[in-house]
Amino acid sequence: MLGAGGDWLMNQRFRNTVVKGSAGAALMALALGASASLLLAQSAPAKVPDLSGFWERRDDVGGGNFGGILEKIVPKASLTPEVVKANQETAARQAQGEVVAFGSKWCLSNLYPFFMQHSAAWDLFQTQTEIMQAAEVHTFPRHIYLDGRKHPSPAMLVPTVNGHSIGHWEGETLVVDTIGFVGGGGTPGGGRVGKNTHLTERFKLIDGGKKLSVVFTWEDPAIYLKPHTYELQYYKSEPGTYAFEETCHADDPKQSGSVVAPGQKY
Amino acid sequence: MNKPLPLPLFTLLVCPALLSAQSKSPDLSGYWELRFDSRNVPPASLIVPATAAERAAQVKHDADAIRWCHFFGVPYMMAWSPVEIVQNTNGKEIAITSPVRTPARHIYTDGRPHVSAETFDPTSTGNSIGHWEGETLVVDTIGFSDEGILAIPGGGTRTATSHLIERFRLLNGGQRLSVVFTWEDPKMYATPHTYEFRYYRAPPGTEAREFDCNASDAERAKFLTSIPGK
Repeated sequence: MLGAGGDWLMNQRFRNTVVKGSAGAALMALALGASASLLLAQSAPAKVPDLSGFWERRDDVGGGNFGGILEKIVPKASLTPEVVKANQETAARQAQGEVVAFGSKWCLSNLYPFFMQHSAAWDLFQTQTEIMQAAEVHTFPRHIYLDGRKHPSPAMLVPTVNGHSIGHWEGETLVVDTIGFVGGGGTPGGGRVGKNTHLTERFKLIDGGKKLSVVFTWEDPAIYLKPHTYELQYYKSEPGTYAFEETCHADDPKQSGSVVAPGQKY
Repeated sequence: MNKPLPLPLFTLLVCPALLSAQSKSPDLSGYWELRFDSRNVPPASLIVPATAAERAAQVKHDADAIRWCHFFGVPYMMAWSPVEIVQNTNGKEIAITSPVRTPARHIYTDGRPHVSAETFDPTSTGNSIGHWEGETLVVDTIGFSDEGILAIPGGGTRTATSHLIERFRLLNGGQRLSVVFTWEDPKMYATPHTYEFRYYRAPPGTEAREFDCNASDAERAKFLTSIPGK
C-alpha cells in the first residue's frame, strides 16, 4: 500500500518536471494511458464473478420452515431398491421408538451438504486459486481448489466430512467436483451420501448478484437410479453481517435432551 | 549532477509501480506450517500467579475441551499445522482455518468497528477486525468466550476481558510469515504479553486436513482420562 507519503513523492516529481505546450501534454496523456494499459494487462487476472460474502436461505416459496422449503422445491431422489429397503427398515425402528442417530447428542461434525440447507448463513471466501466456505453450523471449513490440481488417487484420498473438492470456471459459473466423503450423510429429497458418491455443483450469481444459485447433482450407482439434481438459492446477507459460532457440548446433559445415549463409562 | 528522466519515460517506468503499490496489499493467502524453530515465546508477566488449584482447574478445563470435542478457539488453533489464510480478492475479509476442531476465524477488513459488547455473543475465536499498516496486517480481537482451550503460550489464559493484537508480515520474499501476538488483559497480565510465531510456507499442493473428533468413541475417552500406560 502507498499512503500519503507516496502521493507526496509522486506530486513532487511531477512538479519538478517541466512540461511545455500541448505537445508535452499530449505526450503525458499518451504515456499515462500506455502505463495504465500495461498495468492492467500485467496484473489483471481473468475476470470471474466475485462470490464472496455471507449467503443465507430464505423462505420465498411459502414453505413455512426450512424443511418445508426443501419439501416444496427438491424432487424426491430416485433410489436403488437396496437403499429404499434400508430406509424402510430404519423408519420402522424409529416408529417403535428407537433412536437411530446420535449425531446431535455427541456433537458429531455435520456432514456435507448439511450446512448448505441449514437456516444459518455461511461465508464464502474467494481467491484466484481457492474458494473456502465457512459455515456457522458444527462442521469443518470446506476447501475448493481452483489451481488446476486433480483429485488424489484412491490410495491417497483421505475421506472427510466435506470431501475433496476441485473447481473451475465455465464462463460465469463455478463448477465444483467433489469425491471422498466419509459417508453416512443425507441430501434433501431423501438421498444419501456414501463413500463413493460423486457430487457436481454449479454456483452462479443471479439477480444482479443479490442471489446465488447452486445446482447440486449427486451420482452414485449404489444409491441413485439416476443423478439426483436440485437447485437451492441463497440471498446475499446484509452488509456488516458477522459470523456466529454454533457451539455444542456433548458433556452437557441438556444437550442430549430426550435422546438416550449409548452407555459409556468415560 | 543527475538529469531527471524525460516525463513520458518517467511515467512509463514509474507509474505502473506506484499504481500497483497503491492498490495492492501483500497476499498472505496459503498454507503455513509451524516447525520446531517457529516459536519465540517468553514467559508472561502475570498480575497474580495462579495457585496450584487454579492451575489444576485450568488444565482440567482444557483437557475436558479435548475429551468432549469442544471448539478449541484462539490461540490454540494458531499453533497447529498447517493453518490456512484465505484473503478475499475484494479486500473485505480474511479467514484463517486450522485442521483442529474449531470454526474458521473471520477477520473483517472492510473498515467496520467491533460489534458492540451488548450485541456480540462471545466466541472461542472472538470478534476480529483488521487493517493494513504498510505491508503489515494488524488484527484486533476482543469478545472471547470461555469455550475451548484457554491456555495462552507463555502463561495465562484467555478470558472475557482479553484483548489480542496480531501483526502479520511476510518475510524472506513471502516464504515465511511472522505473526506477533500481543495479549492484554487487566485481570491477567501485568504488562502486555508478546510472543512471535514464524510460519513456513507449505509446499505447493498442500491441502487442508480435518482432525475430526468423536466424543462418543469410548476407547478414545478411556485413553484421554486414564492413568498413562494403564
